[in-house]
Amino acid sequence: MTTLNPARTGLTRYTLGLPVVLVLLLAATQADFRSTQNLLNFSGQIGALLIVAVGQLFVTLVAGIDLSVGSVMSLASAFAATQSDPLAAVALATALGVAVGTVNGMGVAMAGVHPLVMTLSTATFLQGLAYVVLPIPGGTIAPAMAAAATGEVVGIPAPLLWCAAAALAASIVLRRTRFGAHLFAVGGHPRSAYLNGVRVKAVVVGAYVWCSVAAAWAGLFLAARVAAGDPALGASYALESVAAVALGGVQLTGGVGSVAGVVAGVLSLGLMTNGLNLFGVSPFMRGVLTGVLLLAAVSLQRRRIVGM
Amino acid sequence: MTIKERQPLVELRSVSKSFGQNAALKAVSLAGWPGSIHAVTGENGAGKSTLMKLLAGVHQPDSGEILLQGRRAALGTPAKARRAGVSTVFQELTILPNLTVAENLCLGRELTRGGLLNLRALRHEAVQVLQRSGITLDPDRLCGTLSVGEQQLLEIAKGLHSEADIFIFDEPTAPLNRAEVDQLETLLRALKEQGKLVFYISHRLEEIFRFCDTVTVLKDGAHVATQPIENLTPDALVALMVGRELEALFPERPAHVPDVPALQVEHLTATPHSPPVSFTLRRGEIVGIAGLEGQGQREIIRSLAGAQERSSGTVRVWADGGHNIAVASGSVAAAVRCGVALLPEDRKGEGLYLDLSIEDNIWLGPLRQTPLWRRAPRDPSLVRRLAERMGLRTPPAQPVGSLSGGNQQKAMLGRWLAADVQILLVEQPTRGVDVGAKAEIYELLRRFTADGGAILAVSGDLPELIGLCDRILVVRSGAIVADVPGHSATEELLLGHALRSESPSKATA
Amino acid sequence: MSSSMSLPTSPGLAYRLQQAASFILALPPAYLGTLVLLASAAALRPNLLSPFLLLLILRQAAPLGFAAIGQSLVMRCRSLDLSSGGVIAVVSYLLTSGVMPLPWPIALPLCVLFGALVGAFNGFLIVRVRASAVIVTLAVSMILSGTVIALSQFHAVGDAPDILRAMGRARVAGVPLVPLLWIATLVPLALWLRRSAFGRVLDAVGANPRAAGLSGLPHLRVVFVAHVTSGAMSALSGLMLLGFVGVGNVKLGADLALNALAASILGGINFGSGRGGMLGPAVAAFMLVFLFNFLTSLGLGEPGKLMLQGTLIGAAALAYCLRHKDSAH
Repeated sequence: MTTLNPARTGLTRYTLGLPVVLVLLLAATQADFRSTQNLLNFSGQIGALLIVAVGQLFVTLVAGIDLSVGSVMSLASAFAATQSDPLAAVALATALGVAVGTVNGMGVAMAGVHPLVMTLSTATFLQGLAYVVLPIPGGTIAPAMAAAATGEVVGIPAPLLWCAAAALAASIVLRRTRFGAHLFAVGGHPRSAYLNGVRVKAVVVGAYVWCSVAAAWAGLFLAARVAAGDPALGASYALESVAAVALGGVQLTGGVGSVAGVVAGVLSLGLMTNGLNLFGVSPFMRGVLTGVLLLAAVSLQRRRIVGM
Repeated sequence: MTIKERQPLVELRSVSKSFGQNAALKAVSLAGWPGSIHAVTGENGAGKSTLMKLLAGVHQPDSGEILLQGRRAALGTPAKARRAGVSTVFQELTILPNLTVAENLCLGRELTRGGLLNLRALRHEAVQVLQRSGITLDPDRLCGTLSVGEQQLLEIAKGLHSEADIFIFDEPTAPLNRAEVDQLETLLRALKEQGKLVFYISHRLEEIFRFCDTVTVLKDGAHVATQPIENLTPDALVALMVGRELEALFPERPAHVPDVPALQVEHLTATPHSPPVSFTLRRGEIVGIAGLEGQGQREIIRSLAGAQERSSGTVRVWADGGHNIAVASGSVAAAVRCGVALLPEDRKGEGLYLDLSIEDNIWLGPLRQTPLWRRAPRDPSLVRRLAERMGLRTPPAQPVGSLSGGNQQKAMLGRWLAADVQILLVEQPTRGVDVGAKAEIYELLRRFTADGGAILAVSGDLPELIGLCDRILVVRSGAIVADVPGHSATEELLLGHALRSESPSKATA
Repeated sequence: MSSSMSLPTSPGLAYRLQQAASFILALPPAYLGTLVLLASAAALRPNLLSPFLLLLILRQAAPLGFAAIGQSLVMRCRSLDLSSGGVIAVVSYLLTSGVMPLPWPIALPLCVLFGALVGAFNGFLIVRVRASAVIVTLAVSMILSGTVIALSQFHAVGDAPDILRAMGRARVAGVPLVPLLWIATLVPLALWLRRSAFGRVLDAVGANPRAAGLSGLPHLRVVFVAHVTSGAMSALSGLMLLGFVGVGNVKLGADLALNALAASILGGINFGSGRGGMLGPAVAAFMLVFLFNFLTSLGLGEPGKLMLQGTLIGAAALAYCLRHKDSAH
């Protein structure tokens, strides 16, 4: 709850230091980095990833993983592009998040299906559904929604506000609610948590619901930013969110992590991509970079089991 | 103040509980009164923990009922038991290592204000609980950094901090030092004065006689006696705990075991904190390891088997030619290559491949000598002959998971008999095995040693060790405190060595 | 297994039906599924059942069949390989963009070797570093695909080597060559697995990894070899796919990993259990490709296929886990 101990938050000097080093590096070597336009673009670029990563954090805290976030994003953007009423789109997307999260959570917590298999199957299903709702990128986003994602409020760009809101909401839930405390308990040792009276299955389902809702909102955000829906919008976000979370010091085995870490991880990932652009490296290398970072982050976290 | 005049706070009426074929509790009845510290004791496997877990909501009785203050209670989950007023300090630590002291104390009972946790109130509450329990711990410390003793104290504080009327303590003092035990005593007496009921599960006679006013003895899942402590002496209590008939299960022991070493252990320390252990296993010998649960027997056996890294010490195995090899530490494959094999106590979880057939399970033993790309040895007559020898009458193609406990144990044993190892390290040779199969297994073990093998067996079943073994080593706190010849061992003698800190009053049977 | 049962009126029939029912339910879903599918096709699209088309479908299923071999091996020791997409992307790039102008007797084996090396890399991370198999293989796939896409800017993908295209078209006594190659790989491998020490240890490791460790079995080596094999199989399926499609394509084989996972699960292989043998996933591969063709003929497009795929994997996994909920795994 209030502890800042790195053994609990996962915040080491590397997790926090990496984004700082990158900022300094880029600021020093690339004049374009320091321009306001670039900074504006940057906050918009990492906005969606931050919202998704914050959701992935909750699932990772209970030693799970959610690979369906990309498809949920795509489907949510399809809803946004085909609904003229922005509120209907938001309601539909939120309902989607709750439904998908419940299915994932119940499969994992009650049936005992491995999170990877469960979320891969829902991801595939939802991806198909996204193509049904919106076969090709396009559609129209309600102007109100587009404005909400790209405008400014008292001079602060909207994406920045959305990032702050997501981080703040997650932080409050983790540190100040019973659910948040129980997330850490279940991730630490599910059996001990059960013996202490924690409702382990309900907590796990809750984590997956939270994650899917966050992904749905991230999809709406991204669609609003590019003013179009895209059924393949979220393709890379599943692994990117896991990379961001892992880079942020969150243990994939559960029980250790923090929102600050996730923010640092998203920043690091975003800065590296931004750097790649500024240095003129092919944008396709972004996937390579994410993959390499993911491997590095995962290799540094020790586990006992071999295989899945 | 006659306790018996008041209504019992809790009553367990004829509760029974079985796990698979293992009958852990057989129609046990027990009553506890307010303002009492009530000991529940018995040997390993007597059913003490299971009985208390029924009250704690971890298990549900197969038959019988539980009454709280005269009314039937359905304690389906630990959370429900807690709400019903039962607070439990389990033998296994339930402290979460990634939470702070304060968070652990309040887990499951967090105070909220408007939906959000009231952090200041929580911390304040934690500080108060620690103070009331007389435990000095920093409430913001992560519990992963606490020593085992500190974690146990925290468990106790957590158990005390609740609105419960009934408290259960399962072996609370195992990791505590003298001062900490004194602290616990003060806390328990305070509870008694408040009119609470405390169930105290323990083997430790000094503590039972020090803290408790009533004691219930269980044996083999059945209730033996419940008496006020003033009616008993330590020896009388021990006599109640032991004394099952030694059934004529055991094969003849050889009169004399030739002094040919098979396994020599020198200054073995399983963990950096363990005391050094040295002993020699001779060919043709069955040596037993006795002791209360958790006294280091498992660590010794596992480090010999290579399942655990040894901190220090050497282990030597004698081959047929008379020369010996040192066994590398921490590698099961190396140990098996030297002819040392483990039969783990958790057959289903660690020993057998439940989905595979008996045949497959047995062949995995000799398979260790075949390189991976080679054809696997396929001699159906070998399995048939082995099965006949072992009295394993089920068809070899049947999956092991469907066998009875006794047959499963034979299948596991068969693997190593087929693999031609020389030294068997056995954990609980007949746990969950019916009487008929027990006799057959003892016969097989003795024949193994008659053929030149050696066996080291850990068991919580004292009559078994007394009947089977040529020698029995008693372990306490990780060290070997006695080496008793099998033919002159008695339960009182062994238990005496295992329980007491001074030398036992009875030396011979 | 003998059991003393006192049955009411018709002992023999009821009992035998019950036995038959439990036997059928215990079979891998692919067998029953294939029968149902063939029956539905007979009713709705009988032309699909012509020998000519069936053989074409078999040919189309061969790459999936190869991938399913690798995936089922890996799944049997409780791991997973999702890196086929990346391996195939590299193989197709190497062979079609002209960066590796070697004659095919050298180039093709080199590609298979590359696949095996990727498998070895995966295996190393999974076995030594104990990283999660899914994350490692997905990340490796990302790295390989991303590199290929980036490099395609300089050397664009082109036509597939003639030998592959010829192989894709070749027939032996009227039967396409490629599925024969599939069977020629499958059968010896299946026999070897059943008879070799490796196969036994693989079963043991899948059934109970802890027990395998405590009996001194070479757990880690087996997982490593399974991954190397899976990588080589991915490369082989890439070669087949390239032969069919005729041109290099970065997206080639992108969904193969997931399809191979579905084929394995439907073929009776689940994490740790090898009950389907090698035949189950092969039948499931055929079934899946037939299903997709059938649905396409009914008008179902790509989206429908994805939804079906997701449902199949999810349903099969749920059914398996719910049935085995009580056993200690």
